[in-house]
Amino acid sequence: MFKNEEMEINLGPQHPSTHGVLRVKLRLDGETITHCRPMIGYLHRGVEKICENQSFFQGQVWTDRMDYCSAVANNLGWAEANEKLFGITVPRRAQYIRTMLNEFNRLASHLIWLATHALDIGAMTVFLYAFREREDILDMNEAFCGSRLTTTAFRIGGLREDLPPGFEKMVQKFLAKFETCLEEYENLLSENRIWKKRTVGVAKLSAEDAIGLGVTGPVLRAAGVPYDIRKAFPYAAYAEMDFEVPTRTEADTYARYLVRMAEMRQSARIIQQCMDGMPEGPVMAKLPKILKAEVNEVYHATEAPKGEIGYYLVGEKGSGNPYRFHVRAPGFINLQALPKMAEGALIADIVAAIGTLDIVLGEIDR
Amino acid sequence: MNKLLRTLIPFDIAKGLSITGKHFAKVFFSANRRKVPFHITSEYPEVPAKVQPRYRGRLTLLKDEQGEIKCVCCLACEKICPTQVITIEKGKKEGRKMPFPVRYDFEMERCIFCEFCVESCGFDSIILNHQFELAAYNREDFSIGMEGLAQNMYEPTPVGKFSVAED
Ligand code: SF4
Ligand code: SF4
Repeated sequence: MFKNEEMEINLGPQHPSTHGVLRVKLRLDGETITHCRPMIGYLHRGVEKICENQSFFQGQVWTDRMDYCSAVANNLGWAEANEKLFGITVPRRAQYIRTMLNEFNRLASHLIWLATHALDIGAMTVFLYAFREREDILDMNEAFCGSRLTTTAFRIGGLREDLPPGFEKMVQKFLAKFETCLEEYENLLSENRIWKKRTVGVAKLSAEDAIGLGVTGPVLRAAGVPYDIRKAFPYAAYAEMDFEVPTRTEADTYARYLVRMAEMRQSARIIQQCMDGMPEGPVMAKLPKILKAEVNEVYHATEAPKGEIGYYLVGEKGSGNPYRFHVRAPGFINLQALPKMAEGALIADIVAAIGTLDIVLGEIDR
Repeated sequence: MNKLLRTLIPFDIAKGLSITGKHFAKVFFSANRRKVPFHITSEYPEVPAKVQPRYRGRLTLLKDEQGEIKCVCCLACEKICPTQVITIEKGKKEGRKMPFPVRYDFEMERCIFCEFCVESCGFDSIILNHQFELAAYNREDFSIGMEGLAQNMYEPTPVGKFSVAED
């Protein structure tokens, strides 16, 4: 009399919990997900191809618009990939400022992750509190480079301008209160029974699977693999910084939450060290009139808040444009893990799985 | 036993509520609640928003002391613009040795406010002003010509005719 049939539904592309225009095709058996496929491409703009038709200098503005929650980290990767291609050494002060802004950006990105992830799961208060702190970071972005979100913060060879007057005060004011703010979030969430019910043991991804799928960033570190490019292949001024790479072994959503919270503490530590040890000097390297590539292809990876962001650039003789430009976007690769996390779980947990991967569709679709 | 107690008595929820309650009390009972706007939010349209000194707003053509447009048509800004927003037509003006722009078209709807043009200009003749309320009703309103661009940078962005439906 009753037929036992699987039902196919679409989650997204206009669903608020998919963080953009992600469409997930789900096949359900009752409430259990039996099959899950993310469909992407709704936000494709062809950033890689556009950059191939623009000069090395102009390309940076497109990297802002990939992962718009962590534009500074994208800018840093782009600038450093170009510096590697042209063999430019960046002055030490510029390196320190870059490191500091990058860590601020990590804070901003993790805060927006915390806010939206908690909102998806149902903790509304954290959303407002996290955005309150993020606002201060965006103000600092605005003070430094004139824009809040699409920063275009760096230049090939250093920075456009030095830190603005009064920036140090802003940083100290932020750092003084940030620890209390973190405690506030933790008091609201860490012990909260609803939060724990929704996250502990949800969307597990073992270390083998994570490595096999190429997952990087906090998702990998929550599975117990202490891989952080800042430590493994130091860039900018990270070699001189003293910080830890937080890891957990539970590999579930709650562990990823703990890893990101610990990472925010480490970021605050790095910012303090940058402020304390800020060297004097110029912020821009002396560039030759015409940039000539020393090698003709580079791959440069940096640790963006979401994972490894890699820029692959091929230079061409006598041309001011990259011959080939490719981005290894962390969100794109991390999204591959979604079927692994969601299949066999309940449909309500896919919201947690998408949130915990911390995806931004601007970067996935490029 | 301990676990049972913790399940029965919602400590965690009390902890969360105490935080929100603390914040509420801080604002509600602050002595000058009515006088000083609470620092996190600002009453934006009534109180004008402040921007940082380096804020990147709309492109503005600067004028020299004689009130003449400083641009000398070197076309550096046109070349560097990543979205090809600027179009300049070179021309001459009576009593001026340097070339003078006859046309300086700026299509704001495509501008991404990156400030590359200002950076490339070797004559300090353009700047991005501090305006951020740049919305307009029509697409044509975004093509700001030379007169609009050369306006005082603190005056509001000029817009074309509004096409509000008349009844
Ligand atoms: S700000 Fe950028 S996009 Fe706008 S006109 Fe200048 S160079 Fe072009
Ligand atoms: S770079 Fe400056 S001087 Fe040259 S055309 Fe542009 S505005 Fe004029």
